[in-house]
Amino acid sequence: MTLFVKEGCAKCEYVKKSVDLAKLGVKVEVLSPDNPDSLAHLAWHELVKVAETQMPILVLDDSSSLTGAIRIKNYLLALSQN
Amino acid sequence: MEPASQKVGARGVNLPLKPFNAALKETTDLALFVRTSSETISDWNRQRIVDALLRETNIAQEVAEKISREVEEQIISSKISLVTAPLIRELVDAKLIEYGLEEARKKHTRLGVPLYDVDQLILHPNRENANVPHGPEATNLTLAERIKKEYALLNVFSQEIGDAHMRGDIHLHDLGFIDRPYCSGQSLEYIKKFGLNLPNSLSMAKPAKHPEVLLAHMVKFAAALQSHFAGAIGWDAVNLFFAPYLRGLSDREIHQLAQMLIYEFSQQAVARGGQAIFTDINLYWEVPKHFEKVMAIGPGGEFTGKTYAEYAPEAQRFVWALFDVYREGDAVGRPFFFPKPLVHITEKFFQTPGHLDFLAHICEVAAEKGNTYFVFDRGSTAKVSECCRLSFKLEEADLEDAQYPWRMRYCALQNVTLNLPRLAYQSAGSDDQLFNKIAQVFNIAVQAHLQKKAFLERLLALGADGPLALLTMNKDGLPYLRLGRATYLIGMVGLNEMVQIHLGKQLHESDEALKFGLKVIAYMKLLADKMSRQYNMRFVLEQTPAESTAYRFAKLDLRDFSPRAGYIVKGDISRGEIYYSNSTYLNVGAPLNPIERVRKEGLFHPLIEAGALTHLWLGEARPSKDSLANFIIKVFRNSQNDQIAFSPEFTACPDCARTSRGLQAKCPYCGSANVEGITRITGYFTKISSWNKGKLGELKDRFRNQNYFLEKDGGPAKDNRPWPFREETSRTFV
Repeated sequence: MTLFVKEGCAKCEYVKKSVDLAKLGVKVEVLSPDNPDSLAHLAWHELVKVAETQMPILVLDDSSSLTGAIRIKNYLLALSQN
Repeated sequence: MEPASQKVGARGVNLPLKPFNAALKETTDLALFVRTSSETISDWNRQRIVDALLRETNIAQEVAEKISREVEEQIISSKISLVTAPLIRELVDAKLIEYGLEEARKKHTRLGVPLYDVDQLILHPNRENANVPHGPEATNLTLAERIKKEYALLNVFSQEIGDAHMRGDIHLHDLGFIDRPYCSGQSLEYIKKFGLNLPNSLSMAKPAKHPEVLLAHMVKFAAALQSHFAGAIGWDAVNLFFAPYLRGLSDREIHQLAQMLIYEFSQQAVARGGQAIFTDINLYWEVPKHFEKVMAIGPGGEFTGKTYAEYAPEAQRFVWALFDVYREGDAVGRPFFFPKPLVHITEKFFQTPGHLDFLAHICEVAAEKGNTYFVFDRGSTAKVSECCRLSFKLEEADLEDAQYPWRMRYCALQNVTLNLPRLAYQSAGSDDQLFNKIAQVFNIAVQAHLQKKAFLERLLALGADGPLALLTMNKDGLPYLRLGRATYLIGMVGLNEMVQIHLGKQLHESDEALKFGLKVIAYMKLLADKMSRQYNMRFVLEQTPAESTAYRFAKLDLRDFSPRAGYIVKGDISRGEIYYSNSTYLNVGAPLNPIERVRKEGLFHPLIEAGALTHLWLGEARPSKDSLANFIIKVFRNSQNDQIAFSPEFTACPDCARTSRGLQAKCPYCGSANVEGITRITGYFTKISSWNKGKLGELKDRFRNQNYFLEKDGGPAKDNRPWPFREETSRTFV
């Protein structure tokens, strides 16, 4: 799983602080002006347009994606309890 | 007596004075005549050389005098009785070089074309632009362009930029139109509201009261705009803005108007060297959200008291009629080359009654004639599209302007394209070197934009008395050209070949190659964003149409990077029909099914803000409209692709006035060999006979989707599998 976050994004920070991402094996990709790899990864998952209005974005192992900080947090918390 | 010396010239070069030739006669006694640049024959007058040098360069008076005397002596000793002004200038230039006065020489140089070249140009067609027919106007255009190109490279762009262009590191588009912006998008509302009152026009027209007059104004304005821009002239929401003039018209009258519009734009061979006005019309089935509540302007330029939402029926009748005309084709059944119809597919489209019937109608036209461009505006995106794929994404400020739609005027000032394969040759497989080189050449492109902008600002500052008076006209409190909203395009050619050189695989050959390509474009996008912030200008990536650039870059790289380039350039080297893949395209010859091509090419589209397009070549196939409609819906829902065009091929026979499918050597109806092949070159239909060698090479390689869309073969019309077939595609990035 990959969590796309952006610098200065409060909702992104909320998710990062709410869940132990490392324990779940969630990779964090930071979209920033100096990170073409993350932007390319986002483009690979066809999420560039989504990211313009919704952050953070969680990409699951089957390449589907979740948006909404609360939804992502709840999903990851549920995973961590299983 | 030793010759005296004096300090002369900008470099302070000490030049010995040559002894005066006492045998030289007074110049007034000389029987020497000069053919001047102003088409007269004058007596010799050495002072003219001095005057020109002082006027045009910064050398000192005494140096100018000295050079003039030496040139005079040279001419006299040659015993020529009639000299030309160009010859004198070249002799003076030689003197300037001799004395190390290079900067002065550049300023004094004459721009022009050799006699032999002019002869060839008059006799033989120029294939740089397939839209320009051969004729006197085209020759005028070519000659003027050559001079303006030299001027641009000497006087607008710095030597560093000029050299980068000439080496082939970058391509500065439309150098021959250096005194114009690139492409533009506008609104009919401007002429509806203000009428037609153009600078230097011999008459003024009030706002149109009738749709035919509005059409006439539109055509004339387009022609005037075309002489002030280098590229396409796009019109937003054409069917919607005509709608207030159509209320109460019969179907026949609306059909007639549609016919007039299409024929007017496809037969106006007046612009830029005698070519048709390169026109794009943006069309909607629904009333775009940003126009729903806007008060409509109607006959006489008056507000009708209704909003545009209330004119949806008229707008739909008109767009339907336009496509009826496109479906018929011209008098011999050929597709219309212009205007290009761009239909916007949006979320609201699918909520608007009748959309499925309309989709089937425009897909029928796509299948029969190939005209339809399907532009996908997903989510809240709104765009004005034009040219082959250029689009102006409407930002918040633009959508506010929608309340005053005559303000919705956009332009791209210039396009500079990067030669991506070259960077890979130079990087020898090193990622660090490659991305460093991308940044370097990107910066060169940005500098080129700054220089072009500065030049155009000088011209625009001359206002109504300057060469761009039309662009400075002010009817609504703003100059027509809204420079603050301009975009500055950075294009690219040959991403496919760049990746092939760097990784050994083409974009379609491995996920790793495709991902690397995405990284390159992502890097360029971030550079564009960074430069935009740094210079407070909108630098955006564009898929360069590259009608001749892909060929030019391939030729230059074959010269400079062989033998490696010989394995990389596409096409037929032995025939000189070579090219690089256009922009971010997958190899045109790769045997990909349309879904795969659309999806993979679409991965790049969100990174290319100024517009992107995927071509699906049909060859002679005539797909079913239902197959295409089904495909369009799936592309909208399941990909990020920005725009699609289906491109069939045709053979038109002037002898029997019939048109057949596919590219044939002879007419299948009458057997005549006097036939014209027609298909899309980059983003518009044109006759193949006008194509350059690179495009001919690409044409031969194109993979035609001959059978995919045929219902009887179980194409997508009957294919209910989820799309894009995730079980077949690895979606893992790392």
